Amino acid sequence: MSDLIGLQTLSEKPTRLDQSQLKLNFSEAAVSQLEEIKSHYPSEKAAILPALWIAQREYGGFLSSEAIAEVAHRLHRAYAEVEGVATFYSMYNTRHKPGKHKLEVCTCLSCHVNGAYRILDLIEKKLGIRPNETTEDGLFTLEEVECLNACDRAVVMQVGDSYYGPLTESLLDTIIADLKSRTESTVIQMADEIVKVHLPESAV
Amino acid sequence: MAERKLLLEHSHETSFRTRAGYEQTGGYEGLKKALGMERQAIIDEVKTSGLRGRGGAGFPTWIKWNGLPKEKKTSHFIICNADEGEPGTFKDKELIEKCPFLLVEGMTIAGVATQADAGYIYIRGEYLDGARSLRSAIDEAYKAGYLGKNIMGSGVNFDLYIHMGAGSYECGEETALMSSLMGERGMPRLKFPHAPLPTISGVFEKPTLINNVETYCCAPFILKNGGEWYATLGASTKNSRGTKIFSVSGHVKKPGNYEIEFGTPLQELLEIAGGMVDGDLKFCVPGGSSVPMIKKAEVERAIIGYEEMSEVRSMVGSGGCMFFNDSTCVVTFTWRTAQFYANESCGKCTPCREGTRWMVQILDRILAGGGNPGDAELLQQVASQIDGRSFCPLGDAAAWPVAAALRVFPEEFAYFIENGSSMVTGAKTLAMAP
Ligand SMILES: Cc1cc2nc3c(=O)[nH]c(=O)nc-3n(C[C@H](O)[C@H](O)[C@H](O)COP(=O)(O)O)c2cc1C
Ligand code: SF4
Ligand code: FES
Repeated sequence: MSDLIGLQTLSEKPTRLDQSQLKLNFSEAAVSQLEEIKSHYPSEKAAILPALWIAQREYGGFLSSEAIAEVAHRLHRAYAEVEGVATFYSMYNTRHKPGKHKLEVCTCLSCHVNGAYRILDLIEKKLGIRPNETTEDGLFTLEEVECLNACDRAVVMQVGDSYYGPLTESLLDTIIADLKSRTESTVIQMADEIVKVHLPESAV
Repeated sequence: MAERKLLLEHSHETSFRTRAGYEQTGGYEGLKKALGMERQAIIDEVKTSGLRGRGGAGFPTWIKWNGLPKEKKTSHFIICNADEGEPGTFKDKELIEKCPFLLVEGMTIAGVATQADAGYIYIRGEYLDGARSLRSAIDEAYKAGYLGKNIMGSGVNFDLYIHMGAGSYECGEETALMSSLMGERGMPRLKFPHAPLPTISGVFEKPTLINNVETYCCAPFILKNGGEWYATLGASTKNSRGTKIFSVSGHVKKPGNYEIEFGTPLQELLEIAGGMVDGDLKFCVPGGSSVPMIKKAEVERAIIGYEEMSEVRSMVGSGGCMFFNDSTCVVTFTWRTAQFYANESCGKCTPCREGTRWMVQILDRILAGGGNPGDAELLQQVASQIDGRSFCPLGDAAAWPVAAALRVFPEEFAYFIENGSSMVTGAKTLAMAP
């Protein structure tokens, strides 16, 4: 870990990071979005989850330690606290930087009995990666996930804000081809969309 | 009996997602009535309706609404639990996507009745279509004076906010949800009698009402048509009133959400969903992955109702109803269920954190062909030691399906342990593909 988030700073002043060491990357729009969202709650701390969504977007789909430090700074919380929150939730990308698109395949109950592991196998072969890995070109990350709560469409896969199912080999080929042709990362797009639903029309 | 569409009656009309279209179907009549009533009269109407919570536990809704202080000394909040994560359940998804105004109106009525300053809709992160649909409904409601300051000129103020989750089943548990809403890890909080009820000290340490999406969506109908009218639905059951949406999936021809009146036979729900595909019914998990599985014979005599389902040793739960055919290996199925709970355990208390993992390890071993004699008993013991000893109900929910599978299909476990292969599919190693 870099000095930026070192224990030195934390042990001296547990709730505040040394401003001079901090690089702030939130855009102007991001800052004003965070201000609006903060006004929805009686406590600043409650804005941690939405702020992490903003950070996930601003930092290219990945909550690096710099991203977490910025959230901690902006909400006047300790780095460790925000890190603890971020790592609790599976949709925040804290462990490794995901590819441009994240394929999240449900293997839970209804999907399982409808052949989810066969589908997962098929995707592994097509992309040449195992779950939690990213293709060399950085395009795709594969993940096995719990019930996406769209079991009527089992076997289901989520990519960004889109649900696909029932999955077949030809549907998979279509989805993969479509994703390859996109310029925007569905991971970043999704974080952006999540931030936006917090914001009333009057604030946009 | 057939489907009885109340909440879902207009769900397929896109105009129902706009304020004008919603009003044309009688929308906002309930709120208008409520604004002309004493607060207590609104709560009494909900009491008369017999409405019980649709999030899983079936707790009488009016008791919660009645539980917030009548003399307001500080801020009050209401929360909608739209974190739908119980495997097999996708009814709240359809409600927020297609009937957003029902939820907005229902929460406003609850807000008026409980003197809430604001409401939060906690939506699971994946549900973006629903969140966008609610966003536009809330924006429209503000513009029309149904939300915000002095709603409909009544002098009542009520704000409504969307808060997105970020991937955690445990955040559906109400106190964990409140932790999450306050910006913390999604871990549950100490409960009554060791701590005050949420209605006295909930989110932000303020009096708080929390209900499921479907529960709030019933309120507009109860206010519009009266609690007595609502209570005529389901009157054939002991104590379940109104309609219930079931998300039907598994090996059925027409998986989807179906709204039925309480008192409908479970078998009929299966028929409404088109019956089984590829083979005969073997077992059913009627109320989401947490509730005990029942065999075909029980499905044939089960009546849908909170008390009625307990007669076949299961539950209405969240309404995530899964039917499985005779090609399903119960051991493999139980392994996948156990995995879910081990993955979602928040890690706060020992019985659940350690027990859920232990159950998976035993099942892993059995599926790999290395089951030991006595493994079924061990599994049963671990399950019974989690049940009732956990900090929050996720532990119980992890234990029940395993215990039920062992009770209902003991021969399949015995066979797998002895022969190292599935009694149903014949598969030998970790046979994940059914
Ligand atoms: C592990 C766990 C997960 C839960 N998930 C949900 C959920 O996704 N949605 C929900 O409404 N209730 C869920 N509940 C139930 C809630 O704790 C709570 O009882 C419910 O939101 C109350 O609303 P109701 O009275 O309207 O049913 C869950 C409970 C547990 C223990
Ligand atoms: S039972 Fe214990 S470990 Fe499991 S989710 Fe609840 S608090 Fe967390
Ligand atoms: S089991 Fe896959 S979406 Fe529910």
